[in-house]
Amino acid sequence: MKSCEKGLWALILLLTAGLLYAVFFLVPPAEGLGNLVRIAFFHIPVAWVAVLAFLVSAWYALRYLRRPAERFDAISAVSARLGIIFVVFATLSGAVFSKLTWGAYWNWDPRQTTIFVLLLIYAAYLTLRSVIADERRRARVSAIYALFSFLTVPFLVFIIPRFYFSLHPAPVLNGSGSIDMDPVMLRVLLASLLDMTLIYIALLCHRVKSERGASS
Amino acid sequence: MHASLYRAVEAVFRKEARISLRSRSSWLVVLMFALTTLSCVSLLMQGDVLSPRLAAAMLWVILFFSLLSGAGRGFADEEQAGTLMALSVYGSSQAVLFGKGLFMAVLLFALSLLIVPVYLVLMDVAVFAWGLLLLTLLSGTYGMAMAGTLLSALMAGARAQNGLLSILMLPVLLPILLPAIVLTAGCFTGDVNGSYLVGMFLYDAIMTIAASLLFDFLWYED
Repeated sequence: MKSCEKGLWALILLLTAGLLYAVFFLVPPAEGLGNLVRIAFFHIPVAWVAVLAFLVSAWYALRYLRRPAERFDAISAVSARLGIIFVVFATLSGAVFSKLTWGAYWNWDPRQTTIFVLLLIYAAYLTLRSVIADERRRARVSAIYALFSFLTVPFLVFIIPRFYFSLHPAPVLNGSGSIDMDPVMLRVLLASLLDMTLIYIALLCHRVKSERGASS
Repeated sequence: MHASLYRAVEAVFRKEARISLRSRSSWLVVLMFALTTLSCVSLLMQGDVLSPRLAAAMLWVILFFSLLSGAGRGFADEEQAGTLMALSVYGSSQAVLFGKGLFMAVLLFALSLLIVPVYLVLMDVAVFAWGLLLLTLLSGTYGMAMAGTLLSALMAGARAQNGLLSILMLPVLLPILLPAIVLTAGCFTGDVNGSYLVGMFLYDAIMTIAASLLFDFLWYED
């Protein structure tokens, strides 16, 4: 099991080193954005993992409510804790990109707003966990909140773009379903998405194992 | 079965109403909080006129924070009085949730009917679509009451309850607050887009179903 974990970290290390080379030496400057496009290879993966961590947290919250096993609560909590780190990285890298391209760190763009709401949900979830002393009640209560707050996300995805004007570049997979991106950029982006997802999985496994080891 | 659930919901509703009328503290605090904030804002504005969008946003911020102090009392009062255990023995989860939630919805809507006219007078705002404004208030306060009832049940037994409800409520209520502000601004200008109201009612319905499903897990702890 330990060698499997070591293998995963070695793969992540190799992939990250390769990606750093590709992002700075292989990816061509983008039309209109120039070299600033390189931020996207960090920003998009961390934003993706922030959402993935939220989904995992909600999924294990549901599993905990159906069968109250300590492991499910630990995965849900650790995923939320990792999620808040990724969402902070996504917010900060997005703000830097925004300042360099639009001239302001923050302007309540729909995607900035959505990620900010995700940050609020994560913060609320972790605050709730910190104020309940009894372990079983904490697990149950935070699972309920994770699922209840999860409901808001689809609504916000529809409402926020109608409420705020957007300057954000179109998503990689745009409305017409076609992928409008340089092939090298696309491959590097997909590899960076995989790399960040692997980092998240490795950290999740490591933290869950060490937390359960500490509590038993 | 349905008749007995209806009677149980009605019993919890009547209990809440009786306690609220007897103690007065729950709604008086909300009302005074709103009036204090309103007069403070009006005082600091020094007679300046807000744009409709800003006036609507300001109104909902005041409503959100003042009604919040009432919405979160549902289970905290029971816990303080030591009656939570008795309620859990005699009341079914759905009766407690809907009895408390519906009473809170009626209370918050009634309070907003007192707060909004004062706001309109103090801020000198004209309303072109009263019916829509009332429906927006109804939908907004209902969502706040149902979410508040579930979340205040979550908070029972928590260490630091002050301010916790606003932290928990804001992300959950944003899908109601944002369209409510757009609709209210529309009521102030006469340029109304009713599709937001449909979205608000839909969200209210989904929150009610979710609260109903999730409350069982909280009420019947093993």
